[in-house]
Amino acid sequence: MILAQSAKDPLIRWDWVWDHTDDIAAATWEHLRLTAVAVGVGFVISMALSMIGLRFPKTYSPITWVTGVMYTIPSLALFAMLVPVTGLTFLTAEIGLVSYTLLILVRNITAGINGVPDEIREAALGMGYTPRKMFWEIEVPLAMPAIIAGLRIATVTTVGLVTITALITFGGLGSFIDSGLRRFFNTEIIVGVVLSVALAVVLDLAIVMIERWLTPWTRRRATAGN
Amino acid sequence: MIRLDRVTKTFPGSTSPAVNELSFDVPEGEIVVLIGPSGCGKTTTLKMINRLVEPSGGTIEVAGQDITALEAHQLRRGIGYVIQQVGLFPHKTIAANIAVVPHLLGWDAARISARVEELVDLVELEPGMGDRYPSELSGGQRQRVGVARALAADPPVLLMDEPFGAVDPIVRSRLQDELLRLQAQVRKTIVFVTHDIDEAVKLGDRVALLNVGGILEQYSSPAAVLRDPANDFVADFLGTDRGLKRLSLLPISGVDLLPGPVVPPGATATEARSVMAEHGLDWFMVGEDGHISGWLSAEDLDGGRSPAELEMRPVRTILSPDSSLRDGLDAVVSSHTRAATVFDGDTYLGILTIDQISNEVLQ
Repeated sequence: MILAQSAKDPLIRWDWVWDHTDDIAAATWEHLRLTAVAVGVGFVISMALSMIGLRFPKTYSPITWVTGVMYTIPSLALFAMLVPVTGLTFLTAEIGLVSYTLLILVRNITAGINGVPDEIREAALGMGYTPRKMFWEIEVPLAMPAIIAGLRIATVTTVGLVTITALITFGGLGSFIDSGLRRFFNTEIIVGVVLSVALAVVLDLAIVMIERWLTPWTRRRATAGN
Repeated sequence: MIRLDRVTKTFPGSTSPAVNELSFDVPEGEIVVLIGPSGCGKTTTLKMINRLVEPSGGTIEVAGQDITALEAHQLRRGIGYVIQQVGLFPHKTIAANIAVVPHLLGWDAARISARVEELVDLVELEPGMGDRYPSELSGGQRQRVGVARALAADPPVLLMDEPFGAVDPIVRSRLQDELLRLQAQVRKTIVFVTHDIDEAVKLGDRVALLNVGGILEQYSSPAAVLRDPANDFVADFLGTDRGLKRLSLLPISGVDLLPGPVVPPGATATEARSVMAEHGLDWFMVGEDGHISGWLSAEDLDGGRSPAELEMRPVRTILSPDSSLRDGLDAVVSSHTRAATVFDGDTYLGILTIDQISNEVLQ
């Protein structure tokens, strides 16, 4: 194998970048799609697990234990275990990515709901809310700041993890890092790293904007007399 | 309107009941205050009426219907509920908070917004306040919103659990006055829990005094409870200033006022002295036909001039027949003349002295 880059080469070769804009756009889009599906599916599963844990408090410990174990499995090992079963597929990539979001999301959703003051619940039930209606119309909206904090961590973590899925032929921007490392080609590595960091920052900001839009009441604090 | 029949509540894990075989009726349109020391089950009793606590035994009827006949959430939509911490929903605007029950009942938007406007007006909130969030309001304003929210769907019954317990005394007193004014308009059947006996006396048409374990010690009007405590527990609970508390319930109009030392404007000094002697006082008022122009003391006559030639002192301590005897007592003890003059508008009715007040209390 020939080293693609000699010591005289610049840190980044812009000509390579201009020649590969289509590849870069496609990889960015794939990265975004892998992240969005992982966080979306992870959120739905976490919401269901949280509802079970809140409804039957005895199940909360086992739920956090299992999701905690999933969280601690090294990602390389997880993909290695999954490939013989599900192959080099989108599904394999997502099973891995989703499993890493669960612990963070379940913890934040549960903490958010448990943080709703008792008197709010008493008032809601006393007004005639059913427990289900109270959950969706009172408890979830009030837990939104905690839930969104969880979504931010899960999203930023997932953007990082997506690069690992390059090992099973996915990877989004991670495929540049992977290929750059194999070829000792700095430009590709830098493009992969910088864009995945940028993607994490942009998604984080987007979620913050969504939070501001969803929770207008948290920004109003002023008290009139009497 | 509300009937409790041998209602018992024993909480799981407890051997003694929190409420034991409690029976009483709340008549329509009255305020019944549940009061007693901690652990007397007053809040538990209240929460059994809207089934936030399910009774272990006995039956509760609201408007002739057993409360277990409906689903709990349907029952609660027909009963207003106000709690001490108010429990406004922080993520909803004031208007949306008030609209909660109508919304649950499925009213259309136009009807809801008309009703919200009506209630904002009824509890005397500023009209623009509907768009704000609860965190932007003061404690007193939030509690008014809490009352408006409870009244929103016009329920016949209102349950209030120490609603004014968390606000300062001045705001509390104002909210109490507002509740009485509101009640005169809306005539709800209200069950009100408090641990403040003065609040109970001020607001209650009837007072239910509960002892630890949910035992009803006495159930009567505040005046009857203060006059004839059923037993030592009640007397102790009411405190040593029971007589004073009773005074706040008795209007001056119920007392036979003394005519007072009044001389006509043309009277001589001698005539004035004889009127003072007759009443055993060292002061007199000048006036006729129910109109008093002022008062003079015996010393004022020492210069030898007649009342008509002297400058009148203005009558300052004025009471109306609607004032309570407690206000009357306050006026009497803080007046130099040891008497308070009572006027109905501009018309002089007579004077109130300490003797009449204590006679009334002893009756």
